[in-house]
Amino acid sequence: MATTADTFQAHAEPHDHDHDHDHKPAFFARWFMSTNHKDIGTMYLIFAIFAGVIGGAISGIMRLELAEPGIQYLQWWANFLGGKEATFDEALHLWNVLITAHGLIMVFFLVMPAVIGGFGNWFVPLMIGAPDMAFPRMNNISFWLTVAGFISLMASSLVPGGTGQGAGVGWTVYAPLSTYGSQGPAMDFAIFSLHLAGAGSILGAINFITTIFNMRAPGMTLHKMPLFVWSVLVTAFLLLLALPVLAAAITMLLTDRNFGTTFFDPAGGGDPVLYQHLFWFFGHPEVYIMILPAFGIISQIIATFSKKPVFGYLGMAYAMVAIGVVGFIVWAHHMYTTGLSVDTKMYFTAATMVIAVPTGVKIFSWIATMWGGSLEFKSPMVWAIGFIFLFTVGGVTGVVLANGGVDDNLHDTYYVVAHFHYVLSLGAVTALFAGFYYWFPKMSGRMHSEFLSHLQFWVFFVGVNLIFFPMHFLGLQGMPRRYPDYTAAYAHWNEVATFGYQIMAVSVGLFFLNVIYAFTMGRKAEGNYWGEGATTLEWTLSSPPPFHQYETLPVIEDKGHH
Amino acid sequence: MNRNARTAVSVGMLAVGMLALGYASVPLYRIFCQVTGFNGTTQRVDEAQAATVIPTGKQISIRFDGNVDPDLPWNFRPEQTTDRVTIGARDMAVFLAKNTSDHPVTGVASFNVEPEYTGKYFNKIQCFCFSEQTLQPGEEVRMPVLYYVDPELLKDDDAKAVEQITLSYTFHRKVEEGS
Amino acid sequence: MKFGDRALKRAMTLKNTLLSIALVAAPQALMAQEAAADAAPAAADAAPAAAAAAAWTPMMPTPGKGMPVDQGMTFQTQYSPLGEYAQWMHNGVLMPIITVISLFVLFLLIWVMARYNSRANPVASKNSHNTLIEVVWTLVPVLILVGVAVPSIDLLAKQFKPAPADALTVKVTGNQWFWSYAYPDNGEVEFDSKMLNEPGAPVINAGVREVGSLPTDGPAQLEVDNRLVLPVGEPIRLQITASDVIHSFAIPSLWFKLDAVPGRLNEKVLFIEEPGVYYGQCSELCGVKHGYMPIAIEALPREKFNQWLVAQGGTVGGKQEAQAAPAPAAAPVEAAPSAEATGPAA
Repeated sequence: MATTADTFQAHAEPHDHDHDHDHKPAFFARWFMSTNHKDIGTMYLIFAIFAGVIGGAISGIMRLELAEPGIQYLQWWANFLGGKEATFDEALHLWNVLITAHGLIMVFFLVMPAVIGGFGNWFVPLMIGAPDMAFPRMNNISFWLTVAGFISLMASSLVPGGTGQGAGVGWTVYAPLSTYGSQGPAMDFAIFSLHLAGAGSILGAINFITTIFNMRAPGMTLHKMPLFVWSVLVTAFLLLLALPVLAAAITMLLTDRNFGTTFFDPAGGGDPVLYQHLFWFFGHPEVYIMILPAFGIISQIIATFSKKPVFGYLGMAYAMVAIGVVGFIVWAHHMYTTGLSVDTKMYFTAATMVIAVPTGVKIFSWIATMWGGSLEFKSPMVWAIGFIFLFTVGGVTGVVLANGGVDDNLHDTYYVVAHFHYVLSLGAVTALFAGFYYWFPKMSGRMHSEFLSHLQFWVFFVGVNLIFFPMHFLGLQGMPRRYPDYTAAYAHWNEVATFGYQIMAVSVGLFFLNVIYAFTMGRKAEGNYWGEGATTLEWTLSSPPPFHQYETLPVIEDKGHH
Repeated sequence: MNRNARTAVSVGMLAVGMLALGYASVPLYRIFCQVTGFNGTTQRVDEAQAATVIPTGKQISIRFDGNVDPDLPWNFRPEQTTDRVTIGARDMAVFLAKNTSDHPVTGVASFNVEPEYTGKYFNKIQCFCFSEQTLQPGEEVRMPVLYYVDPELLKDDDAKAVEQITLSYTFHRKVEEGS
Repeated sequence: MKFGDRALKRAMTLKNTLLSIALVAAPQALMAQEAAADAAPAAADAAPAAAAAAAWTPMMPTPGKGMPVDQGMTFQTQYSPLGEYAQWMHNGVLMPIITVISLFVLFLLIWVMARYNSRANPVASKNSHNTLIEVVWTLVPVLILVGVAVPSIDLLAKQFKPAPADALTVKVTGNQWFWSYAYPDNGEVEFDSKMLNEPGAPVINAGVREVGSLPTDGPAQLEVDNRLVLPVGEPIRLQITASDVIHSFAIPSLWFKLDAVPGRLNEKVLFIEEPGVYYGQCSELCGVKHGYMPIAIEALPREKFNQWLVAQGGTVGGKQEAQAAPAPAAAPVEAAPSAEATGPAA
């Protein structure tokens, strides 16, 4: 049976200096009308970092406000952002706008653009030996739709949203708070933002599926594809199946708001709980959309720095497929307290726990990949090992929350916040940094500082754990989510979390320092700067790869039978 | 059509299909609730079906609950809060509604039963909730519900332990189309 | 002035009230001894309802009971059987399992890092398959999950147990941004419950007093003007709905959380084991003041609960009414309560 890492015998000759390959369009045409997967990937990454800084700054405002009981800073921010003396209600509304913006930005404009748009665009064609994506122009449209979605979300914070400016309904946009509960156009802008970002992602998904199905180099069978490509393939299918349901649900919100329909309004025979069913039918696959590509990145990195092929390649690939499939039939575990019948809760409890099995397979397979390997603790590897542990912690609290009877207490408390930040903020974002340090020299042609990346890892690791681990305690003690203020008993752990945020912020500073270092003082990167363990096709190319690669398609010989 | 376009169109169809399914879920969900009693949805039966049911010797307590949306200028409440009925025998409950405003107002009722797993055994023969209701200024009406509890309830391991079923209504101001 | 206004409005139910007060007067004397902090005797004076209502003194909360504790790291102490079971499920089953799994993964990571780093193991093996171990790490988690699922499903199954027909029924309505409570079987006892304002902080609820202005006030952010008063030691049928957007009625120390959905009634059984004040907070984002609509439950022994009901102008007929023969369909609601035949010993 073939495995991913040791079977590639690329025959492509990288013709770096062939001017035909490296002819780049002028600045505007190159960056605004781009049809080059690498340029679009770069734009996605820059955009994601930009959005991530905004989303992270918003969480900074939130953590500062939550540092101690009482409302200290919201009033100032409301005055500042509104340009006039804001009422106290407007200050409180600003809180809801912040939590909404933080959630939407981090999900739709940081993690998704980075893992799928950024790394996916860059490395899926490189890894399968394709010259570019199947539909380069559509690729460009996807990117600019995402940008337009972000602009729409930002615009929503500048227009009236009922009490103050902006949409304050949480990233879940539950009806009826988002329908007759929110006056003003801010909500419509926020919903439209999801439409744009969603449309961009659906087009992107079609592009990835077509590319992966049709444009693999000769010999690159599905079962030889690197796991990162597998992860993007599964993710693309999740996007394709889940996002249209969200699009339908939020379109119904828009018509409920503006055209007198009553899809989610009991006054016309609608049911607000139906919105939750539709949202979470999208929302649960969505969390796998964010984490599966992270799994793919981690698999590549672990194999590279263990100098071993991934253990149990097929099991790893089909575990992702299984996670994707099961991810569609567990949505109501987000709705245990809505008044679901006991039978329904039992089903969703059991179904949700099933997901732990393929997830466990992945964790153990990564460890087994390292087992017997010759481990080199380069920065991507350190981040990847950190990911495995942090994701495990986030995963096991998911098993706790899966139990409907236990979730009756923990639902909508900080325990849930801790859980999903462990899998996403500490999971997906850690994988993002791992992938960034793994591939940054490949993308830029410059080596980053290994010292700074290691330092950033440790500062980040300490910081995020200080932020999010105490949130478990707050949740167990009953502190609800989405509160700008709290009773004195919750003060201690909130203070610790805010302290942790400051440490985490330092690590983001180190990240930018590292990027600046690389561009100013970084060594030139070789084609394969990670050495013998890096066996996928992108390492056969120069760093950065030529503007157009694989004019002669690489041929993958199958010599990996075991 | 080249191979890429063919692939794109077929997966694109998948996305369009899911979009359609998203919209179709509205009627499908309603039908699902009506058929299975999910969410405490009561069953609607006609006289002929109701006539075939044989009353049992067992009784069950029924509670009535009335709510009004704040934007509907009505008073609405059950005439009596609880009642004991024979399972399988039809019974009538009356709700009192009054328009407290100075203009005619049309209301529609949403409803469910609790515990919600008794929904599939709660049959309504006639109900004011089947249609919208218009009350003239100051008008007060008695709104009847003709219902019975299906004896099948006694065969359901979970539902047979239920000692009291609550029938709840909430009246809302009718949403004007295009408003 | 707890409930004073409302009690006055209910002057028409004075007859029932006076009668009931007279009936509860006797056990009241017995109650007095355990009512140290409650100053209840005022209610026993068979005074007019309004005066009785005004004199009702809320219970003194016990620090750390029914509320979060400073630097707390675990669940709040549970005061319901379901809560105790669920807490055991978490502390006795889930926590040990997830701790062991996390530590096991951590141990394996440290082990491979120590044993298989490039210095200790310069040449990597090419081993990438072991069917046996793959089967093992698929099946063992399955077995663990089955082990978790058994008590988990059992815990859920307990929610099937419905309240008896004669259980006290309390109607809870979520509003932006306060809760309303009603006792449909006990006369027209209905009231709103709003968070107390904090001294020095912006006013949340205009016209509501400040927290700490009564010695019986609990923590800021959690205490309300009118607590939901419930009896202990019996199943209570809580029926929850909302008048505007979705809210969620949650009390961590009673393991209770149920959404309040407009246009729909949700129901769940609540059982409180011992008297006390239990605090909770709205747990579904409901707009601007979502963070400012707490829940405070004052749980009393049945006799004192009856006394409170009566002080609010309510009747204590709930239990008997449901068992009465079907009333004629035309009977108006006000006439239905059979308080006349009711003693507090129910």
